[in-house]
Amino acid sequence: MDHNWDFASVLANKTLLLIGLKNTLVLGSVCLALGLFFGLFVGAARFSGKSWLYYPATAFVELFRNTPVLVQIMWFFFAFPIIAPFKIDAFTAATLGLTLNTVAFSSEIYRAGLQSIHKGQWEAGKALGMSYWQQMRRVVLPQAVRRMLPAFMNRAVELFKMTSLASVIAYGELMYQAKVVSTISFNPIEMYTSVALIFFLVLFPATILVRRFEARDTFRR
Amino acid sequence: MGYEWDFAVVFRNYDLLLLGLVNTLKVTGLALLFGVPLGLLLALLRLYGNRAVRLPVGFVIEFLRTTPPIAQLFWFFFAMPILIGVEIDPFRASVLTFSLQSSAFFAEVFRGGIQSIDSGQWEAAKAIGMNRNQTLGRIILPQAVKRMIPAFLERAIELMKTTTLVSTISYADLLYQANSIAQSTYRTIEVFTVAAAMYFVVILACSIAVRRLEKRLARSGETVVN
Repeated sequence: MDHNWDFASVLANKTLLLIGLKNTLVLGSVCLALGLFFGLFVGAARFSGKSWLYYPATAFVELFRNTPVLVQIMWFFFAFPIIAPFKIDAFTAATLGLTLNTVAFSSEIYRAGLQSIHKGQWEAGKALGMSYWQQMRRVVLPQAVRRMLPAFMNRAVELFKMTSLASVIAYGELMYQAKVVSTISFNPIEMYTSVALIFFLVLFPATILVRRFEARDTFRR
Repeated sequence: MGYEWDFAVVFRNYDLLLLGLVNTLKVTGLALLFGVPLGLLLALLRLYGNRAVRLPVGFVIEFLRTTPPIAQLFWFFFAMPILIGVEIDPFRASVLTFSLQSSAFFAEVFRGGIQSIDSGQWEAAKAIGMNRNQTLGRIILPQAVKRMIPAFLERAIELMKTTTLVSTISYADLLYQANSIAQSTYRTIEVFTVAAAMYFVVILACSIAVRRLEKRLARSGETVVN
């Protein structure tokens, strides 16, 4: 019980932690951008009702939603390079795993959002002579995205938490940096406490924001 | 590609993989066993405790929800033993971490469920002379729990997926077993693919069961809390 807390050793390594935080944010942002972009197409494919689009998209979504993300990352890092025609480093493997996972989850948000838009909106767009993608882009998505926003932000928070898994395959994000420093300076208590605090400080404001959005939405309905 | 797949090696080690799966389920089950009651307790404290209780409980819940589970696990495995001077094995550290982690999520499910019950139910109970605890136990929770079931089971599935982290502190769950078989047989791609498939089968089965249940509950006229 008489542990002497020594946060000076944490501060002494703050450059390493900051690099880690930067890498965490880079990895999270890249996966979020890619995940949301491709998620739209997968979601639209499941929404379209055309069976040649629906079934492959559904298989993909179920596969990535029903396997642990750590297994996905490890598969892309250890297994995939054997059959992949190109070299895969830790960043690529983590990006692949986390992006595909985000694609699967966000596609479900897109699908639910699209389903929530009244059919009349599509028909009105059609009546004006818009093509399917024009109706989608100009009429339906702008309305749907508003409703989807809280869910996307929740997903983003989850994603940033998941980036810590990249430490397992030695990508130098925050968690990995903390692991390395703590083995050198023998301060796991201070190090892991700091990591948890940093994540909390970054992500908690985001969760408050989500709640605001949710409250606003309920109010409007 | 020219890679020759050979799954025979994997199937020779199927007992190790199955053992890993059992260990995965064991950690998940125990975390649920401790996490659910603890979650209920946290939810009640957050809802009905006085200010001095509500704030710290709220902080703990938010902290556990917004920090990565791997940081929590490492904290309990590497840091806490130094702090309290007690050795902790990977299994105990895992169960401890995931009980606490999931209790925070379950607390929010409980809170959502309890708050979704119409205030008329409280008033009716009060009118026939029940105190708060009686109302909670006899009127509110039985209705709330029914609404919470789908959100609950979804959380349990999330929990099972998250327990793969225990492999990082060398607890022999399915992922850890796969990793060690891969290292000794050099059949990385086959082993990891089979392990992923095993997770997929188990988790998909659970997901489908949850979806069925959700539909049935919806039909019986219960709204669902998320």
